[in-house]
Amino acid sequence: MPKANNWKTRIGGHETVLLAVLIAEWFYFNSVGPRFGSLDNSHDILRHSVEIGLLALALTPIILTGGIDLSLGSLLGLCAIVFGKLWRDAFLPIPIAAGCTLGVGALAGALNALLITKLRLPPLIVTLGTYSLFRGLAEAITRGLDTFTNFPAWFLFLGQEHWWGLPAQALIFLGVAAAFWVLVHRTTCGRSFRAIGFSPEGARYAGLPVERRVALVYMLAGLTAALAAIIYTARVGQAKADAGTGYELFAITAVVLGGTSIFGGVGSVHGTLLGVAAIAVLSNGLVHARQPREVAGMLTGLLLILALSGSALPRLLAGWPRKPTRTPSANST
Amino acid sequence: MADFLLRLSDATKSFGAVRALNGVSFELRAREVHALLGENGAGKSTLIRILTGAHQPDRGHLEIRGQTIRHLSPATAHQLGIACIYQQPTLFPELTVAENLALRLEPVSVTRRVNWRARREHATALLKRVGAVISPDAEIRSLSMPEQQLVEIAGAIGAGARIVIMDEPTASLTSKEQHLLFEVVRELRASGVGVIYISHRLEDIFQLADRVTVLRDGESVGTNQVDDLTEAELIRMMVGREVSQFYPPGEGQPGNPVLSVRRLGCAVTGVREVTLEVRAGEIVGLAGLVGAGRTELARAIFGLTPADSGEIFLQARRVTMRSPQEAVALGIAYVPEDRRRHGVILEMSVAHNLTMAIHRRLFPRAWLRLKAEERLAENFIQQLAIRTDGPSAPVSSLSGGNQQKVSLGRWLATKPKLLILDEPTQGVDVGAKSEIHRIIRELARKGMAVLMISSDLPEVLGMSDRIAVMRAGTIAAILPG
Repeated sequence: MPKANNWKTRIGGHETVLLAVLIAEWFYFNSVGPRFGSLDNSHDILRHSVEIGLLALALTPIILTGGIDLSLGSLLGLCAIVFGKLWRDAFLPIPIAAGCTLGVGALAGALNALLITKLRLPPLIVTLGTYSLFRGLAEAITRGLDTFTNFPAWFLFLGQEHWWGLPAQALIFLGVAAAFWVLVHRTTCGRSFRAIGFSPEGARYAGLPVERRVALVYMLAGLTAALAAIIYTARVGQAKADAGTGYELFAITAVVLGGTSIFGGVGSVHGTLLGVAAIAVLSNGLVHARQPREVAGMLTGLLLILALSGSALPRLLAGWPRKPTRTPSANST
Repeated sequence: MADFLLRLSDATKSFGAVRALNGVSFELRAREVHALLGENGAGKSTLIRILTGAHQPDRGHLEIRGQTIRHLSPATAHQLGIACIYQQPTLFPELTVAENLALRLEPVSVTRRVNWRARREHATALLKRVGAVISPDAEIRSLSMPEQQLVEIAGAIGAGARIVIMDEPTASLTSKEQHLLFEVVRELRASGVGVIYISHRLEDIFQLADRVTVLRDGESVGTNQVDDLTEAELIRMMVGREVSQFYPPGEGQPGNPVLSVRRLGCAVTGVREVTLEVRAGEIVGLAGLVGAGRTELARAIFGLTPADSGEIFLQARRVTMRSPQEAVALGIAYVPEDRRRHGVILEMSVAHNLTMAIHRRLFPRAWLRLKAEERLAENFIQQLAIRTDGPSAPVSSLSGGNQQKVSLGRWLATKPKLLILDEPTQGVDVGAKSEIHRIIRELARKGMAVLMISSDLPEVLGMSDRIAVMRAGTIAAILPG
């Protein structure tokens, strides 16, 4: 019987490794770029990581259940367009337009959920489909040309100004992060996500409402993507069809970097936050270090591989990994 | 005088702080069936892993066919003619019998062309040697468990195995299939092979084995001729104390019907026209062959594969069961047969597994109360005598019998009116088995209705107040216990 070697797991624990990486990044860029450590720049990093951060938060419970959602970046684009359209062309006041946009996001998430739970299609395929569908819809609505601008200043405040010394959207982000943390770590829902991620059949035999829980995580993700769309619009000052292109991959990278297992069951919201921070600081810091953009992509990849091998270290220290064998052919969902 | 195929002396192996094997010696002669016996966690698996090269002992001396082996890797074990047949066959389900055998026996090469005819003929010959009536073109997944085991044995013979290790080969066999397997084992022995035979079933050992070595807590209790031992002595060697072989008796009159199903059917799983009643305080045994529809009936009652005809009454109230959640809410509990896949979630902790079916009651408004959960888990660990490092240990670190207790405990926590048990003691050692029997009887005494599916005939006869026999998806007879 393998006994958990506590100190080994803790020292090599994923969050610790990541935190160390983050601190190292900070010190390095601070020594290279003179303006990197300034308050303004910190705010910049925060501002630019909120939207991807929201998507990463939404993805954490999904990946915990052993699923994936590739459609979130596209959904962000679609929601931005819906929001702009409702405000400019349907003459709705901004709060109502925002409310409707959140509804559209949740509905889009429900579509993913429906296909996954009722038709029992693999999440990867379903969301690959809606990935194209949502982006296509956004482009169809705008015919690829139209953008929405001239939002009132009070709305742009949300994306560009400060509340209590922090970028306004950062406060919203913190609230959402806290909500996700509680959901995943302190409620029975979070417990079921893990159970489903480890063994969907086992969870069903235990009488857990597997389909309802899976539906919940995809709907929450849709809702969160809509929120990210509104914040994006406020930050950039315009809503356009290509908003959020590629964000889903950054978000998935952040979640996995944060220690959530792509096979489900294992992971944490705080890990995801660290993952988002590590990526955001890296891409911002490279600008200050006068490195070309392409380097950021390369280093993010390296970081991912390094962090993951770093947490494999305690297993190597403890001898052979003694994982329970899984049947290779089973596990369809 | 005797030629030893294998001789392991003074082997010790530790995992972290746990000493799994402590100074164990074991020897195997040609032409013998040597049984290896012990409770779950006694060190049998570790010993097997050392003999197959999966683990290296910390200390000890290994000699195979007179040759001292310093480092046994799985590859050298294979070369030396050691083959292991596991309880769960390790074949590729999507490939045919011939392909599976070829994977083990033919050399791997990119440039060599496959001679399909030779491959089939070779497979046919091997299957014939083990007396199996199986087509070499059959896909493995279309074969029954015993047929798959025969394919494994054929593979071992084809590889020229001189030492065959069989790990609980009869755990899921019917008595007829078991006889067939025994014949094959006896033939192996006659041809000069040494067989190491691991089983919980004492009957098997008395029927088949020549000698027996008993392990307890990682140490060897002794090696004896089987003929010199009685069953009681063997059990005492294993458990280290007397275990009553008697089943706890039932008492008193059963109460009102708790479950009553009428002409229940489920087309997809082949259950049809089942009429059955289970009363409060009564244990109804559900006997029959594997595939007779017993598990399928349980799945229909528990809502896993909902029934499409007939009626279910729970305490005289008509109910429909469309999902396990509904069944749980109505007070039905189902301890499934496949505990590793369905009974527990191996990666999660003992506590998380124990509370999984009572989230609603233990955590009102979905808010986790970790202290309360831990207390409850500790309570169950004590009540059911679950051997574990604590509530937060992963269930995968427990032995089979203790995993089964966690699976049972999860459902006892729901305080069910009806408890359905599916092979509750399969693959569980003698000590844990009698404890589980005692617990079940105690629950019935307190008024729970129990429906117990079991292929273990003495268990069905000993435990049941009434026995329902299933055949071809329906109840063939109901007998007094």
